[in-house]
Amino acid sequence: MSHDFEQLRDPDEFVRAAMQWHFGPDTGSPYWLDRARSLEFDPRTDVRTFDDLSLFPNIVNELRDVRVEDLVPRGYDGDARPVGVYESGGTTGAPKKVVLLEDWLTRNLGLWADSLKEHGVVPEGNWLNIMPSGPHLAGPFTTRMAQRSSSVVFTLDMDPRWVKRLIAEGRAEDARAYAEHVIEQAGHILRTQDVRFLMTTPPLLQRLARREELVELVNRKVDTIIWGGASMDADTRYLLRTEVFPGTRLIGNYGSTMALGSANERPGLGDDDPCVFDTLSPFITYTVVDPETGRRVPYGERGRVVMHHVSRSALFPNNLERDEATRTEPRNGSGGDAVADVAPVATFDDTQVIEGVY
Amino acid sequence: MGGPLPLDALGPAGAYRPRTRTTVTDVTGRPVAELGLVPRLFVDRAVSALRRATEMPEDERVAAIARAGEAFASGTVAGLPAEEHQRLVSRVSGLPVAVVRAAAAHTARAAADVHRAVRLARPAAAVDDWRDPLTRTGRAVWTRRGDVLAVHAAGNHPGVHTLWLQALALGYRIAVRPSTREPLTPHRLVTALRDAGFPADHLVLLPTAHEVADAVLDGADLGVVYGGDDVTRRYAGSSRVLAQGPGRSKILLTADADPDADPARRAGLVVDSVVREGGTGCVNATAVLVEGDPAPLAEAVAERLAAIPGLPPQDDRATLPVQPVDTARALERHLREQASGTTAWLGADGVVEELGDGSAVLRPAVHQAGGPDAPQLGVEMPFPCVWVAPWHREAGIAPLRGSLVVTAVTEDEKLIDALLAEPTIGSLHLGASPTCDSGPDMPHDGFLAEFLMRTKGVLRPV
Repeated sequence: MSHDFEQLRDPDEFVRAAMQWHFGPDTGSPYWLDRARSLEFDPRTDVRTFDDLSLFPNIVNELRDVRVEDLVPRGYDGDARPVGVYESGGTTGAPKKVVLLEDWLTRNLGLWADSLKEHGVVPEGNWLNIMPSGPHLAGPFTTRMAQRSSSVVFTLDMDPRWVKRLIAEGRAEDARAYAEHVIEQAGHILRTQDVRFLMTTPPLLQRLARREELVELVNRKVDTIIWGGASMDADTRYLLRTEVFPGTRLIGNYGSTMALGSANERPGLGDDDPCVFDTLSPFITYTVVDPETGRRVPYGERGRVVMHHVSRSALFPNNLERDEATRTEPRNGSGGDAVADVAPVATFDDTQVIEGVY
Repeated sequence: MGGPLPLDALGPAGAYRPRTRTTVTDVTGRPVAELGLVPRLFVDRAVSALRRATEMPEDERVAAIARAGEAFASGTVAGLPAEEHQRLVSRVSGLPVAVVRAAAAHTARAAADVHRAVRLARPAAAVDDWRDPLTRTGRAVWTRRGDVLAVHAAGNHPGVHTLWLQALALGYRIAVRPSTREPLTPHRLVTALRDAGFPADHLVLLPTAHEVADAVLDGADLGVVYGGDDVTRRYAGSSRVLAQGPGRSKILLTADADPDADPARRAGLVVDSVVREGGTGCVNATAVLVEGDPAPLAEAVAERLAAIPGLPPQDDRATLPVQPVDTARALERHLREQASGTTAWLGADGVVEELGDGSAVLRPAVHQAGGPDAPQLGVEMPFPCVWVAPWHREAGIAPLRGSLVVTAVTEDEKLIDALLAEPTIGSLHLGASPTCDSGPDMPHDGFLAEFLMRTKGVLRPV
């Protein structure tokens, strides 16, 4: 049994070793050891391949209430070094909590740096996060990235849960005002500071794009914009790349708090190509499935995205996301699928009669 | 013909073919067009471009609108001859082709008359230009309330697009968000206007998904929005958005009016008000209030309406609207629920007549309600559907409130005074004039220019 299974690159071998770690009585977390008793299979003997991760139920809803201490594998033996507790957005009920451990953050940053390098990015310079403040994962990643080159991260105050509440209450005008308040904070930083990297969400990037002065500043100062946290349609991506921010590099980023990280878009994509995200295999992987059967859809077809996180620090397998994507062949033949054209699950209203002639 | 017609967005730098598309189908479900849907970012940038555009001289605008109206109604626009366009609109909207053709001719007339028509709304004392010598002693100058108008158009009737031509004549730059159900008409009209000389940054067509619709209004100075009660309520307090809600047009027949009138003539007035334009317009009658026993009139109307043949929309003789069977059935179910407690004179067995190709004619319905306060009198359906109810003097004009058009056949001048004074009635026809009639000098729910324009005091030294 290898406790250092993170060195393994064969997805099946990796998954088998991970099962020994997370379900070994001396190494697994209190949460998983307890949870294993109500599983209909024995992860240590029945999960033999990467695809067997689909045996797991989706447990992410349980992360709303779990004590975070119970999520830390015992195998760290008191040496786990938590960086912080991070939460999902809270779109559907109370937020889900995860613990980010130092060893995973370090490894993920390494993968991230490799990916940026592939994009031709030299990650030296200051960052501006136009992202939710508070318990959100983007923070520690950019902070560490900046520290690597003795640079800083500029942040601003933003509570996305308040915005969601405003929208739910039909207070669109207040939500708009709040978003403008966020952009004003960003504007002040862009005007006065050196910003080389911009991390933001598609809606905020579009709001920024409405202000000609800020567009000009971004094109002049910013080397790379990394967008994530929400999907971006192909037309918007095309317009941002070709018309609005031709002076910068635009890189998409896809992941989730429950995956404890995210992957950048595939390097070398053109303005008109579908936006493809490769997995950070074997740690963060995606599969694209038919939500009815749970089976993978053929390449080129749309399905629901399932995310797996498997590392020493955590195990969050088989999380059915609320996104749809086109299943795409991964670049490196690793476990999981690449995903393209990610979009929120479309909801269809039943045929509803609305009175009147319009 | 090849595959579905590609319908591009018409942006400020020309046509733009988005990657996101939606299929526009005809009433049988056959794809007719692929409509590109632009994202919010495109909308924001298009509206900014409209704001930056340099104003076109008024005389050129007015002339271009007239030329465009002519091309729209009888020319070839974007390679599509007028007849072919009208046939497609008929197939897609389910409106009888004769109605579509008449609407096109009406649009051409309105386009040719647009300058005169907008000036009908100008206050008599106001002048057009600060250079007018009258401003030397102080005068009102008629000015726009903004530069950019957003229009959330409806797809129920091609005639709705005639209205915003007036805004264009007044110098507004316009962003039209077409109905995704019937985008062919605004696409052709915008294209014709561009061909006639309007620069692309004066007038854009921005088809969007539902979620992005608000973005079109957000960036504009003023907006015109078509919709149901929800839309009317949402913009009730807004001075920036003019909501065009349900019409709920009505007819009032009092006992004193022409007591010897031939019942057939009275029925004719009702029938015309109910079915003209395919019965899908806001000016079509929704309810008829009759002093005395309404049954004979309801019966006569039902008899006349029952005789109308159900035909595919592209048939020259068609007069009834057609919808996909599912839509038609849903409307039928809704009607049945609403009609509970009334007596059906026509449509008791349903209003759906399937044509066997996936589409169905929506046949007329006539119901008799118990009293002038029956809630059904406000139930406006997108097909010929009329509620007939008894009316008495004590009920007064309350049952006639909230009507786009009221046709009052009465000799009672006090009643006419009250109807005229009632602010929630848009137009008043006196005598046997169908609710869908209008004259070239008449406003439609007030003049649009009352909303688009204001007067500004200007005084300059002699």
